[in-house]
Amino acid sequence: MSRFFPALFLAVAALPAFAADEVAQLLKQADAFRLPAESVRVETQVELYRNDALDKERLYTVYVKPGRRSLVLMKSPSEIGQKVLMLADQFWLLMPESQRPLRITASQKLLGEASTGDIASMTWSEDYAGSVKGETDCPPPPAALPELAAPAKPRRCLHLDLAQARNGVTYARVELYLDKANKQPVKADLYVGSGKRAKEAWYVATLVNGQPQIMTMLLLDDIQVNRRTVIRYRAITPKAAPDEFFNPAALVRNSLSGW
Amino acid sequence: MRRLAYTAAALALALPARAAEFNASLSVAPQVASDRTASPYYVGPPTLPAHNRSTRQDLDLRLREGGFNAQGTLRWQAAQGAKPERHGVMNQFYYDGELGGGLAYTAGKKVLSWGVGYGFRPLDVVQRENRRGVNLPAPVGQSLLAVERFDATDAWTLAWVRPGAGGGATDAEDGSLAFHWYRLADGDDLHAVARVSHRRGIEAGAGFTRVVGDEWSFHGAALYEGRYRKTLNRLAENGGTLAAADPMTESQKHHGIKAVAGLQWTGESGWSAIAEAWYDADAYSRAEWQRLDALTARQRALAGFAPAAAIAGNVGWSSTAYLATTLLRENLMLRLAYDDRDGFKPYAELLTTPRDGGRVLTLGAAYEGNRQRVAGGLRQLGGAADSAYARAPLKRVAWIEWRIALF
Repeated sequence: MSRFFPALFLAVAALPAFAADEVAQLLKQADAFRLPAESVRVETQVELYRNDALDKERLYTVYVKPGRRSLVLMKSPSEIGQKVLMLADQFWLLMPESQRPLRITASQKLLGEASTGDIASMTWSEDYAGSVKGETDCPPPPAALPELAAPAKPRRCLHLDLAQARNGVTYARVELYLDKANKQPVKADLYVGSGKRAKEAWYVATLVNGQPQIMTMLLLDDIQVNRRTVIRYRAITPKAAPDEFFNPAALVRNSLSGW
Repeated sequence: MRRLAYTAAALALALPARAAEFNASLSVAPQVASDRTASPYYVGPPTLPAHNRSTRQDLDLRLREGGFNAQGTLRWQAAQGAKPERHGVMNQFYYDGELGGGLAYTAGKKVLSWGVGYGFRPLDVVQRENRRGVNLPAPVGQSLLAVERFDATDAWTLAWVRPGAGGGATDAEDGSLAFHWYRLADGDDLHAVARVSHRRGIEAGAGFTRVVGDEWSFHGAALYEGRYRKTLNRLAENGGTLAAADPMTESQKHHGIKAVAGLQWTGESGWSAIAEAWYDADAYSRAEWQRLDALTARQRALAGFAPAAAIAGNVGWSSTAYLATTLLRENLMLRLAYDDRDGFKPYAELLTTPRDGGRVLTLGAAYEGNRQRVAGGLRQLGGAADSAYARAPLKRVAWIEWRIALF
C-alpha cells in the first residue's frame, strides 16, 4: 500500500506531460502516417459491404491543400461529375445535371453512403484538441475482418480523447488510439454532436518507400450495424492544385482533369 | 432520326483514342397521368389527344477530355395515342480553356446555372430550369461564349449567350449578354446577376446563402426584370366568349419581380426539411385566373347553344395556361426528406398557393445501388375547390425512373 500512492502520483503526474502542445505534436505525428505531404492528390477506392458481401464500390479523387481545403471528385460511373468542396467548415456540392454549386451544411456532409468527411478529412491536428487519457494495450481488432490482421506481438497504445476545435468537422469527438512506439494510428471511435458513437475506424498501414503509411481505413457503422466500409488509398501523390480551383464558383469547370 | 445520327456521329468523332473519361447510362422513365374529367378545363379526345401513359428511354453519353466536355442523349419515347419517335439531343458540347492569371474562357453549348433556391431560382437568367417538373430529362445547355475570372474567394462570368441569334420567340431562343458575380464573404455565398436581352430588356438581381451552425442554412434571392411576358386569353382580358382562332396571346408587361426566401435544416439523424416561399411575376395572378375561370364558365354555359367543337376548342386553348411552370405568383413549399445513409431517400413535398388555397402533394423515393438507381413518386393536385390546382385538367401523375450506369 505504501508503494501504491507514490506510483499513482507518478502516473497522474506523468499525464499532464502529454497535455496541450504535446497532444498537438502527437496528432501531427499521427497525421504524417495518413498524409505524407501538405498538398496531395489521393486516389481513393471505397468498398461498401453489407452483411459481409460487397454491395457498392465508389471511386474518388481527392485534392487536399493546407488550410483545411479539400476537393472531392466522384469518379464512379453512377456518380461521375459530382464534386464536393470543403473549405474549413464550409461545404459545397456540385451535381453534374444542374451545374450549380450548392452550399451544404456540415450535417448534409454526413449523409450519403460513404460520408464525404471520411474521404476528404485526412488529418486531426488542424481540427481537434484534447488530452491523453492514458496508456493501454492496443485494442484488438474485431475478429473475422479480412482487412485487419492481429499484430504479431501485443502493442501499447496512447489513448487520446479529442474534441472538435473548430466548427464543421465531421465528428464532434474522437477517441483515438496511437501506437505508443511510433504514434501510428490504430483505431478511433467517432462520435457525432449528440454524443452518440457513429463509427469505429481502424487504420491499416502498408510500407510505402520503406515507410509505414495508412493505405486502408476500415469503418464499422454503429447506425447501420450490418455495414462495413473499407477505404483504400490507392495512390497518394504530392500535388498542389492552384488556389482558384478551390473557389466554389469554379466547380462547374473541368479544369482539374489535367491535375 | 437525322439528329440522332448527327449526335452519335459528333460524339464518335469527339472520342479521342485516349479519352480521359467516357461514361454512358441508360434510363427508362414511364409515367402515368390521371385526368380530372370534372375540371372545367378538361378537354378530352377528339379535341385534344389523351397522352396519359408515356415512356422515355434515354441513352446518356458523356465525354471529358482535358477542358473538352460533351454530353448527348439518344432518346426513344412513346406516348399513348402518338407515334413512337427517336431523336438525339446534344445537351452540352463545350471547351473550358485557361488564359492565365485566373482568367478562363468557355466556348460551346453549356448549362450555366447561377440560381439560389430549391423550388424556384430567380437568378437562373440563362438556364431557366423547370424546377417543379417530375421525371424530367437532363437539361439542355445554351450556346455561349464566356470569359470568367476566379481567385480564392471571388469569381465573375461574362457570357454572350446565343451569339448572333438576335431576338427569339422564347427565352431559350433569345440572344443575350449575361453577367454573374460571386463572392465568398465571411462564410456567406453572395451572388449578383445582370442580363440584357431582346425579350426581357434589363434583368438584375442578387442572392445569398448563409449557413448557421452544423444544421441550418438560409437563402434568399430577388430579380428585377425590365420586361416580362405572359400568355393570356384575350377574351378573358378584353371581353368576348368564343374565338375562331387561338386567343392565347403573349402580352408584354414591365417592371416584374421574382423573389425567393427559404431555409433548410438537416439533422444528424438523416432527416431534413426545407421551407421556401417565392413570388414569380411571370405567373398568373389570382385575378387573372378568376377572369379565365369566368370565361371558361361562360363558354361551358353555351353548351347546346354553340357548336360543341367550338366550345371544346376554346376551353382547350385556355387549358394551355396549365403548361406554365408556376401557376400562381405566390407559392409556399415544404419538403421533408430522409436519407438512411444506405442509398434509400424518401421524401414528401407540399406546395401551396396561399392566394387561392391550391395544393400539390408529392410523395417520392429513390434508391441508389452500385450502378443502378430507381426513383419514383406520386403527385396529386388539389386544394380549395376554386383554386387553380383543384381546377386543373390533370389530377395526379405517377412516375418511375430506372437508371443504370453502363460504364
